[in-house]
Amino acid sequence: MESFLSRYRNLIVLLVLLLLQVIGLAVQVRKPVVVAGGTPSPGRDKEDGKGVRLIRLWAADLVTPFERAVHGSSQGVSGFWGNYLDLRHTKEENKNLQQTIDRLRLEQASLLEDARQGHRLQEMLKFQQNYIYKTAAAQVIGTSGSSQSHVLYLDKGAEDGLERDMAVITGDGIVGKVRAVFPHAAQVLMINDQTSGAGVVLETTRTRGILRGDEAGRPQVINILADQRIQQGEHVLTAGGDQVFPRGLPVGVVESVVRDPERSGFIDIRVKPAADLQRLDEVLVILSMQPHLSSQQQADLATSEEVMGAEAAADAERKKAAAEMEERLPGLKDPNAPDAPKKPAPGAVNADGTPVVVPTPKPLPAKHLDRFSPGVRSEDLPQPSDGGGTNAPAKPDAPKTPKPKPQNPGTGAQ
Amino acid sequence: MQAIIPDYRRDLEIRRYPPYVYVLVPLVALVLQAWLPRLLGRYAYMDLPVLVTVYFALNRRSPIHGSVLGALLGMAQDGLTHGAIGIHGIANTICGFLAASVGIRIVVENNIIRMLLNFVFSLTAGAIVLFVTRILLGLHMQVDWLDEVLHAVGNAGIGLILFPILDLTQSRD
Repeated sequence: MESFLSRYRNLIVLLVLLLLQVIGLAVQVRKPVVVAGGTPSPGRDKEDGKGVRLIRLWAADLVTPFERAVHGSSQGVSGFWGNYLDLRHTKEENKNLQQTIDRLRLEQASLLEDARQGHRLQEMLKFQQNYIYKTAAAQVIGTSGSSQSHVLYLDKGAEDGLERDMAVITGDGIVGKVRAVFPHAAQVLMINDQTSGAGVVLETTRTRGILRGDEAGRPQVINILADQRIQQGEHVLTAGGDQVFPRGLPVGVVESVVRDPERSGFIDIRVKPAADLQRLDEVLVILSMQPHLSSQQQADLATSEEVMGAEAAADAERKKAAAEMEERLPGLKDPNAPDAPKKPAPGAVNADGTPVVVPTPKPLPAKHLDRFSPGVRSEDLPQPSDGGGTNAPAKPDAPKTPKPKPQNPGTGAQ
Repeated sequence: MQAIIPDYRRDLEIRRYPPYVYVLVPLVALVLQAWLPRLLGRYAYMDLPVLVTVYFALNRRSPIHGSVLGALLGMAQDGLTHGAIGIHGIANTICGFLAASVGIRIVVENNIIRMLLNFVFSLTAGAIVLFVTRILLGLHMQVDWLDEVLHAVGNAGIGLILFPILDLTQSRD
C-alpha cells in the first residue's frame, strides 16, 4: 500500500486537487432556490454562497490593497507631474467642471426621456420629475484579469453605502451593476459581459430587448424580431424594467444589425457603448433612485421654474392679446349662416338612456358605376358590346342624353 | 535534440527559491493581471498566473508543487472574477502538473523551448477553461479563439523576459 501511494503520489495529489475543485464547482452551480414572491428579471442574478463569498473576499482583500496602492501611486506620480507642468488650479477647476457636466448630462438625459414620454402620454400621465438620484463617486482600481469576465473593482464598498445590484454609470452612459460588495471595495459586472443583462429600449422604434456582451466583449441587444426600421446610429436607452438601471439613461448607439445565427427571423443589435468601457477612471454609483435634490439642484430647479413661469405668463399674455384682437377685427364667418350640427361626444346617451347614434355620412354617388359600386346589381350594368369597343358601363341612373351623331357614318360600327 | 534531452546531473537539478519569492511573485502576478488591463484595455494579452505556475513547475520539477501552486493561483484568479471558483483552478492545476512532468524529462533552459512551452500551456489552460465551463458546468460561453491564441503569444513573449529575471531570484547552494 505504501509503495502504491509513494509510486503514484503525484497522480493521487493531482486527482485529489481536481476532485475537490470539481465538487466545489458542483456545489456552486446547483439549481438556485426560488424565493417566494421573487420575480426574475434580466438584471439580477443569484447571490454567491457563503464559502464562495469567503474566497472572493480573501481574493479581493489580497489584491485590492495593492491595486489601490498601485493606482494611487500611479495617479500621484502623474498628478504631481501634471500639476508641476500645468496649473494646479486649472486642473482642479477642470475636474469640478467635468463633474458639473456629468451631473447635467445625467439630468438632461432623464429630462429628455421624460419629455418624450410626456408628449406621447400627456393626457394619461402626470409629469413627475423623479430622475435626480443620490450617487457616490468611486475610482476604478482594477479588473478581474480574465478576458472572459468583464468585471471592475471600485475603491468604495459597504462602508460607503454601496449595496448589491446598484447601477454604476458615468456621465456618458451606463457601465454595469454592483455584483459583490466588500467592506472597502466592490465588484462591478459590466454591461459587456456575457452573463450580464440590462433592459434597454431603442429610442426611435421603441423596440425593447436585453443587453449583454458577446464573446469579444461587445455589448449587443439580443433576441429582437427582425425590424427594417432599426438603423445604424439609433440611440439605445435603459428601459427601467430591470430594477437596476433607472429609465432613460444612455446606453449607446446602434453600431450594426446582424442576423441571429441560432434563430431565424431574429436579429442581434450590436451597440457601441456610450461610456468608454475600456478606459474608466471614475464612475458614479446610484445609491438611491428616490428624488434627492442637493442645494445646487434645488437652486437650478427654482431657476428653471421661474423661467418656465415667466414663459407661461408671456404665453398667456399673447393669447389674451390675440383674443382681444380677434374680437375687434371683422370676422370671416357669415353671421347669418346656420350653425354647424354639433357632434355628440363619444359615449354620450339620450335622455332615455339609449346611446346617441352618430349619423354615418353617405358616400357621394360614383361618377362611373361598376360592379364594385355599392348598391349596384350585375344585371343593372350594361353588357359589353359584341364589337369590342369600350368596357365602361353606362350610367343606369344618369339622365339620358341624345348621343351625338358620328360625323362620318361610314366609319361607324357595321 | 542534444539541447532538449538532459545529459548532465546539472540539467535536472531542482531549483530552489527563498520562501518570500513563492509568496511575492504569485501575488505580484495576480495584482498585475488585475491592474494592467486598465492600462492596456482589450490588448492585455497575457495570463500571468499561468505563466508563474508554469515557471515554478518547470524549475522545481515537482508535479505536486506545480499542481498545488496552480490550484491556489487559479482559485485566487477565480476569486477576482464573477464566475464559479475552480474554473481557472482546475486549468492551472493541470498546467502545473503537466509543466512539472515535462520539466523532469527535458531541459528547460533554452529560451525557445521555454517560449514554446509557454505558448502550449497557455492554449491548454484556455481549452481547459472552455471545457470546464461548457461541459462540466453546462454554461453557454462563447470563446474567441483568435483572442486565446493572442493570449498564448503574449504569454510566450512575456515569458522570454520574465523567466530570466525570475532565474536571478533562485537560491544558490
